[in-house]
Amino acid sequence: NYKFWENFTANLRIGNDHYNDRRKIRIAYGTNGTPYGSYQETAYALNENNVELTLDYNKKLSDDFALDILAGGNLQSNYYESNDQKAPKLAVSGLYTLNNSRDPLVSSSYYSQQKKNSVFSSGQLSFRNYAFLNVTARNDWSSTLPVQNNSYFYPSVNASVILSDALDIKSDALSYLKVRGGWSKVGKDSDPYLLVNTYPFNTPFGSNPLLTVNDKSLNSKLKPETTSSSEVGTEIGLFNNRVKVDLSYYNTNSYNQILNLDVSPSTGYNSKLLNAGKINNRGFEAQLNVTPVSTNGFKWDVTANFATNRSKVLKLDDAGLLQSYRIDTYDVDIVAPIGQKYGTLLGTAYLRNDKGQIVVDANGIPEADSNRKSLGSFQPKWTGGVTNTFSYKGVTLSFLVDAKVGGSLYSGSYATGLYTGVLAQTLPGRDAEHGGLAYYYSGNNKSTSPVQLIGSASVPNGETVYHDGIIFKGVTESGAANTAILPAEQYYKALYGIDEHNVFSSTYVKLRELTLGFALPSRWTSKLGASSASLSFIGRNLWIIHKNVPNIDPETALNTGNGQGQEDLTLPTTRSLGFSLRLNF
Amino acid sequence: MKISTILFAVLFIFSAASCSDDLERTNINPNETPVAQPDYLLTNAIKSTADTYWGTTNNLNGTLLFVQHVAKIQYTDVDRYIFTSASFESPWKSFYSGSLTDISKIIELGDQNANPNYKGVGLVLRSWVFLLLTDAYGDIPYSEAIDIDNHITPKYDAQKDVYHSLLNDLKTAAGLIDPSGKAIKGDVLYSGNLNKWIKFANSLRYRIALRIADREPELAQSVISEIPKDKLIGDGETAQLNYLASPNQNPIALFFETRDDYRVSKSIVETLRSLNDPRLPVFANKTETATPQGYVGVPNGLTTTDASNLGFSKTSKLGTYFTTAQTPAVILTTAEVLFDRAEAAARGFSSEDPQDLYNQAITASFKQFGITDAATISAYLAQSGVAYDASNFRKSIGNQKWIALFGQGLEAFAEWRRLDYPQLTPAVAGVLNGKFPLRYIYPGSEQSLNLKSYQAAVAHQGTDALTTKLWFDVY
Repeated sequence: NYKFWENFTANLRIGNDHYNDRRKIRIAYGTNGTPYGSYQETAYALNENNVELTLDYNKKLSDDFALDILAGGNLQSNYYESNDQKAPKLAVSGLYTLNNSRDPLVSSSYYSQQKKNSVFSSGQLSFRNYAFLNVTARNDWSSTLPVQNNSYFYPSVNASVILSDALDIKSDALSYLKVRGGWSKVGKDSDPYLLVNTYPFNTPFGSNPLLTVNDKSLNSKLKPETTSSSEVGTEIGLFNNRVKVDLSYYNTNSYNQILNLDVSPSTGYNSKLLNAGKINNRGFEAQLNVTPVSTNGFKWDVTANFATNRSKVLKLDDAGLLQSYRIDTYDVDIVAPIGQKYGTLLGTAYLRNDKGQIVVDANGIPEADSNRKSLGSFQPKWTGGVTNTFSYKGVTLSFLVDAKVGGSLYSGSYATGLYTGVLAQTLPGRDAEHGGLAYYYSGNNKSTSPVQLIGSASVPNGETVYHDGIIFKGVTESGAANTAILPAEQYYKALYGIDEHNVFSSTYVKLRELTLGFALPSRWTSKLGASSASLSFIGRNLWIIHKNVPNIDPETALNTGNGQGQEDLTLPTTRSLGFSLRLNF
Repeated sequence: MKISTILFAVLFIFSAASCSDDLERTNINPNETPVAQPDYLLTNAIKSTADTYWGTTNNLNGTLLFVQHVAKIQYTDVDRYIFTSASFESPWKSFYSGSLTDISKIIELGDQNANPNYKGVGLVLRSWVFLLLTDAYGDIPYSEAIDIDNHITPKYDAQKDVYHSLLNDLKTAAGLIDPSGKAIKGDVLYSGNLNKWIKFANSLRYRIALRIADREPELAQSVISEIPKDKLIGDGETAQLNYLASPNQNPIALFFETRDDYRVSKSIVETLRSLNDPRLPVFANKTETATPQGYVGVPNGLTTTDASNLGFSKTSKLGTYFTTAQTPAVILTTAEVLFDRAEAAARGFSSEDPQDLYNQAITASFKQFGITDAATISAYLAQSGVAYDASNFRKSIGNQKWIALFGQGLEAFAEWRRLDYPQLTPAVAGVLNGKFPLRYIYPGSEQSLNLKSYQAAVAHQGTDALTTKLWFDVY
């Protein structure tokens, strides 16, 4: 930090982050799927280096105006490296070393690096401490883009006015009023090595090396992606700030977003790297703080927030041939069809007739529509939460109830549970006690259709009688009510294959957090030399007050990426209970 | 800090920021080669295609169940024809974006490097893969496939047009391959023997000619008349990939290293038993727990409970031959060529002797499975259940080809649909209303990624169901 002139400051920062990770993975002899076990050693290294120089000019221009200008440059370079060695089948059990291998070792190494050079500048002009204007500009040059497209410029403007000060309208009722607005453009590069198609190696076949064409079609004409956002908002304080409201609305458009778009494998590739046309995101957020009671020693605070967001893909390729962006695929496809909701679940649905009745086949099994159908979107209608905090003298009790309303979730656990019959939901119809219908096979021949035994009727030729019959509530292709009886096992297995049956609303209301805190008396803390101290009990994810999906926490997710809306035998979410002791010195 | 240091740093930053060469060099991928080599690609194309063709989804868990070579002893759903739109995703994906992309690159490199032999061999392999695809799915992307720069949503071509194009491509290939021209490397099918590649091209063409014989007999006959008999796969020239030890083992062998879901089907076991067929001990193992019959097949399409009641140890596993690491993936055999010639003769497409070729075909199949004793063979051929029936070539050839194609699921499935013999009974607890699957359903992903083309194909071919008959399957 060097102040080399009046109002001028120069700042040079050099930083390096390095991260190393070595893992040893042992799988024992006799493990299911790996009868010989295996042993693997993996090492990763991650490095980021930054050199940044900034010049700052800070001056009070007059009584009314103050100016702060900053200019600078940054050199960033990253690398990532991994080495992996694996003995895929151990020669002897219980010994974990790479030499102990019956097959050739499987080895791989990977190195990637990228560099980004930037210059940037920002300026802040303030007027009488109630009007502010903030302007930024930045240009990046990235190694990951083609040379002709590797430079991209992006500015932003933000302004805010504290109207209550500017217009001098402050009163007991209106204690604070601020409006703000902003517009920004942000540029972004890609990951390294996405420009030129290269040929990966496969495990050699004997002494023959193998090369293959990458299944991702790269793009030598990649452009930087741009996101432009506008936001307007206001902050209002009422009744001596006993009530505070913060509202904001944003609208974001991403242009040329760099997406690895899944394409039909018949193109020769599984995906193609594209600058995807236009993706829109807009939403509204609100926060309300109220202090309903504030008397001597007792205070009650309420904080509520609410958010809603809509995302839509408006354009993918320039020619308009791609009609849908597949975000993820597992049991169902998670897609963003052009002009429709982002995160639509596309999967198999019941075959329905014109009246909307489910059609069954001659065996009484519900049929699947050969066209995949939209089974809702994972995007919720809104999310929100309310925190109540009560404090009395040194005791604070606070709890947060939050909710997510709307959105669909495919539950693979439910589907698998139906298939395997391990869920309580598969009890109905299993036996006479659970309402199972009686039936037999004519001549005990199981390739014939089961015949229902009604009332006290008896079997004609002493056939075995089963009591796990269910009749699916549907209609035959001719529209007549289904009367074909199915063994419970086949009934539930049929439901496993119909994704529609296994999609639920992911709506929930939860007691997210409860905190009970005590401030320790100062006569205790002073002995420790601390100025204050508090002891709290904290519980998180305590109670699902309401949910629509059975068996699981609706927040369970298959992964943390964009492909939400599905779950399949995923580790359950956790509840945590804990204490915290805080000392301030 | 000295002011000069700062100035130096500023200069450094701004000079580096404009240095595009450095940035460009940074982005050269150090992990993969930018140069494709046709020989390495060729090995990969053959190996990966054979893996998909011989592996689980296409073979054990699909067509081998349909033609009742194998049956499931657990997880019997697919054996009862319960499939979803995700079931046939992987063959589509690996044939198209795996095999065909590599092969197209080989063809392109053949042109670039003026080595027409790579191009010719590439065309043969490409035709084989497209044939597997159309036999299984029907209408498929062909003319616009594997051309992502021009067609990101390839249209589907009618099956008829695909077969016609393949007949032409194979003719071109056989003409391009020149045994006295530049050599090819990386050929793990025929070790660079180009004469054998010409024979493979012709034999595939012969196969396709018969595939359309019920639809277009004139075209089938004219194609067959163009193919010289001595330029077909002969004794010892079977197209097959010989697998190696782990990790390059046969995909079925790999599967059985960790799983035990399949048994030999009752249909084939009982047929072989009734014909005293010496191939039975090759196709099936004796039951682990001794049983009176020794070889016990499992009926196709039992419910899980009924299948598990039969018992893992009281039913026959697939013969050791098929679960051995080095067992080849068989693509086109000497026996098949002889059956094809017998059928062409029976249909009057040639003047050869169908009965003699039929007997030669069975003999070749015996040889393929290690049975060469002349007395055994002649005793077998003399049986009334085996002897060639001139009044019904479909029955004789259909039944015997079904046995000879044991393990070659996709081809066995196509020929069984075309010849309609043997007459099998559908899965015991099948879910297709007493019908058989007659094709693969298209992968569901096509509805997400290539919807308009998919819809046009369904409008042309009929409902995207397992039971929809394909164009070639007339009867």
